[in-house]
Amino acid sequence: MGTSWNQQPNPHPVMAVDRRKIAVFGAAFVLRLLLTCLFPSLPDLLTGRVEVSTPVNSFKRLQEGLFLYTRNVSPYDGGVFHQAPLLLPLFALLPDAKSWPLPTAIFYFLVDLMNAYALMTISASGQSVKSRLHSAVRKHVRWDGVSVAAWFLFNPLTIATCLARSTSVFTTSGILFAISNAVGGNSINAMLALGFASYLSLYPALLFIPLVLLCYDRRLEGPSPPSAGSFIIQHAILLLASVAGLLGLSCLITGNFWEFISATYGFHLLVPDLTPNVGLWWYFFIEMFDSFREFFLGVFWLHLASYVGGLTARFRSQPLFVITSLLGVFAVFKPYPSISDASLFFALLPLYRHLFPLMRYTFFAGSAILYSSLLGPAFYHLWIYAGSGNANFFYAITLVWSLGLSILLADTIFAALRDEWEQEHPEQVGTEVRQV
Amino acid sequence: MTTKTGDQESPQASSSQGDQLSVKRAPPPETPAALQTRFRVIAAFWAVIIFLGFPIWWKTTSIYRASLPIEEMVDWADGKACRPVFPLDIHLATPSMQSFEAQHLLRTTQHTLDDLNEFAAHHLRLKLTNGTTTAVHNGEDNLEYPAKETADTALTVRLLPQDGLASPWSELHAAATQLDIFYPPSQVPVPSSSNSPLSTFIAAELQQLYGEEKATIAHILSGNTAGLDSTSPQLAEDIDRRLRRSMKYAETYHLSFSLFTPGSEPSSWDIEAAVKEYVSPLLQALSPISNFTVDTQVQLYANFAPTAPKPEYDESEAAWTLKKEGLSAFVNAAEWPLNPSIGNGPTINFILYVPDPSQSPLIVKENRASSWIVPQWGGVFLLNPPLSNTGEQSAPSNPSHLSLDSLGPAFMTFSHQLLTLLGTPSTPASLPLRLQTSIRIRAASLLLSASSTMGSLARLTKSLPSIPIPATVATSVSTTLSHLSASCVHLREGRFGAALASARVAETEAERSFFEKSMVGQVYFPDEHKVAVYLPLLGPIGVPLVVGLLKELKRIAARRKANGAAS
Repeated sequence: MGTSWNQQPNPHPVMAVDRRKIAVFGAAFVLRLLLTCLFPSLPDLLTGRVEVSTPVNSFKRLQEGLFLYTRNVSPYDGGVFHQAPLLLPLFALLPDAKSWPLPTAIFYFLVDLMNAYALMTISASGQSVKSRLHSAVRKHVRWDGVSVAAWFLFNPLTIATCLARSTSVFTTSGILFAISNAVGGNSINAMLALGFASYLSLYPALLFIPLVLLCYDRRLEGPSPPSAGSFIIQHAILLLASVAGLLGLSCLITGNFWEFISATYGFHLLVPDLTPNVGLWWYFFIEMFDSFREFFLGVFWLHLASYVGGLTARFRSQPLFVITSLLGVFAVFKPYPSISDASLFFALLPLYRHLFPLMRYTFFAGSAILYSSLLGPAFYHLWIYAGSGNANFFYAITLVWSLGLSILLADTIFAALRDEWEQEHPEQVGTEVRQV
Repeated sequence: MTTKTGDQESPQASSSQGDQLSVKRAPPPETPAALQTRFRVIAAFWAVIIFLGFPIWWKTTSIYRASLPIEEMVDWADGKACRPVFPLDIHLATPSMQSFEAQHLLRTTQHTLDDLNEFAAHHLRLKLTNGTTTAVHNGEDNLEYPAKETADTALTVRLLPQDGLASPWSELHAAATQLDIFYPPSQVPVPSSSNSPLSTFIAAELQQLYGEEKATIAHILSGNTAGLDSTSPQLAEDIDRRLRRSMKYAETYHLSFSLFTPGSEPSSWDIEAAVKEYVSPLLQALSPISNFTVDTQVQLYANFAPTAPKPEYDESEAAWTLKKEGLSAFVNAAEWPLNPSIGNGPTINFILYVPDPSQSPLIVKENRASSWIVPQWGGVFLLNPPLSNTGEQSAPSNPSHLSLDSLGPAFMTFSHQLLTLLGTPSTPASLPLRLQTSIRIRAASLLLSASSTMGSLARLTKSLPSIPIPATVATSVSTTLSHLSASCVHLREGRFGAALASARVAETEAERSFFEKSMVGQVYFPDEHKVAVYLPLLGPIGVPLVVGLLKELKRIAARRKANGAAS
């Protein structure tokens, strides 16, 4: 698809303000604006969908917290709001989303465009095809930044997330800016951005190791390389300091430190709200015996975290790829996943256009994802509204969705390994893989 | 979960891709770097499992079991820790006797009593007092039970000489713990004689006074199977019947007084004054035993259940009658709003039923009675107020208001019914004595009940090693045990009020520890089920991890061997 877009990256980013870029960004903006204006009920409809809004990123819950906050009541009273407190003063500046929906919507559009810009920066750096320790065999097979941005901006999942005003977009921004700063060699800004993302959603902290390795590899390309140990420790301290600073600010806002910690991070960690979503946790913990709940919470979190070490060790030469695959893992296995997590994974995948020819199950994975994203809402409707289905209908569909994402992820990892193999054994390019 | 294993295997499976290539050619040997990477990947996964997984598993699935004094609990249940004894202090007031005469009388009477007594746990101790006026006050004091060190006085026996008597006779005060014995002065025992008619008479009186209590306590202590050998079958049956009719002991009882009438009148009653007059003094007296709350209600247009037998008119009695066997259906449990329980604790219902003027007067056919007890539930009283004729044509009607006077008989009956429902013995005639007896009986039964609860808890913890025992249970158990032994000591020293107070605390704590909710969660969760909990998820994750580890270990072992052979 779209081999005609294959171009060499633009060597001068300043001149990247070309017509294609303006067209893509403008079209994305206008498309979102049209959808909002032509279908005024669409944002609220999407806000209520369980696939888009989870208890930790729902705009409705943010409104509830905002209402309490503007009336000087603790936003966590009532147990509805579970998001970071710093979002509250930010949204308090915007006009009320109920009576003036457009300013908030435009704010979200702009955040989306910024995310796309960060993606362009990542793409422009070329780190996905050629890094310090690794150089892909098919480096000429790639898309330029504008195409990558277009893939992100015109992805229906991204559009739905943006229209639903899910606060996941800020986490996405944090992660994308952390990566774009890291590939740009600005490791301090990368850590601050990762601190922001971790502060909002906790799980991005798991990206620290691959991200710091990415920063380290970039630094080694420059003059006066530092030692690995002190570099990592310095950046860990930086990350902790940025998170601590944000927590301190939050404490100033909410007043009660432990209340907000338990309502936000406690909520992420202990998963008390089992509202259905596209993930695997809710059904499992509904069925789980109470006495084993804590144990399996530990198992699920460890399962999520255990990929960090393994993937980083295996792909030490490609830290950016580790980040991409970890984002895929999070989209499947994190406690409150939504389609915004999948959209972030899909946003980074086009950077690995050169791996696409090596992938084997793209058709199957694509079909599974399409199938589940079409049938998911239908089965949810059957279960909740029509009453002719039950929870298993929806859960089965979320399993298919996770299966599709997992196949895509595994296939990408396979392709990356194959790429490494071909690089080490140039004589074997094109031979068939055989299971032994 | 297959997706998960797919993900996990991929780094390992693909890292061993060296063996996977090429159909005909042998795969190229793995480079040392690839081997090292594979080792690192496996180590990374296992490091997470070992350093994070196992601590979490240990922390979240270990069961907290507070240590309980099992031995001591079993001892209590088996009755080894405490033999409850009931030494009753009886004061002998002999205002008109010489001191040595009184001493002698005391000795001989005590001797006779000891000879008569066959139940060692319950014995009467006679003591001399020289006061004559304190006796009346004792009756009051005994019901309040300040924490005094001396034993409670159970009874004061006053010996009063009276001329012109052939044999002694006795009179029990109905409102005090006092027994007056009038004797002919000639019967004062002389020191030489070892026995005298007066001492025999006193001993027999006391024995008879405490006969029922003794039999009841013996019945309770022997575990409701057999009483004393000497107890007459009649008495044994009475005791058994009373225990069956009385409510189960509770810390708090709710008394509910209800006025039911099938018509519109009477619609008011002097209930507040009636409760104050007839019930409150009794509740005050019963306060050492239990707490009480009082609720009242008036229900008009209360009909009989459709299936209940209708009253029949009896010409000979000139009254409407209910058959005795139909009384059980009298209370229309389906429609009359009688709550089974108000809050915590059982409810005792008292129903005042005013029949319709067309069916008045209403009585029980067989014995013309107007009241009866519903065992373990409450009492019913049929009140037939005088009918009033307002006009010549109109039918007679009930008065619209029931005054305190008209409620008197009903509430006298209710207070008797309350005593019966609470298990107070029917003899002796003196109310303070009956209440004292009641205290001793309750103390004995609570002591036994709390002890046996301790035993059950001990057996439960021993037989189910997988249930958690929270620290609150251990605290409750130790409170129970300390109050049990305090209660036992109080009993031995004759302070029955204090003994009951301790026994009540012990019983409450024992029940709380036994019915702790968090303990029973895992009772029905045998160890075999844990396989079904762990395996479906951890199996698919674990197999590739374990196989990867084994392969890696094998490779390392093979290399060691090769190195050893080479050197």
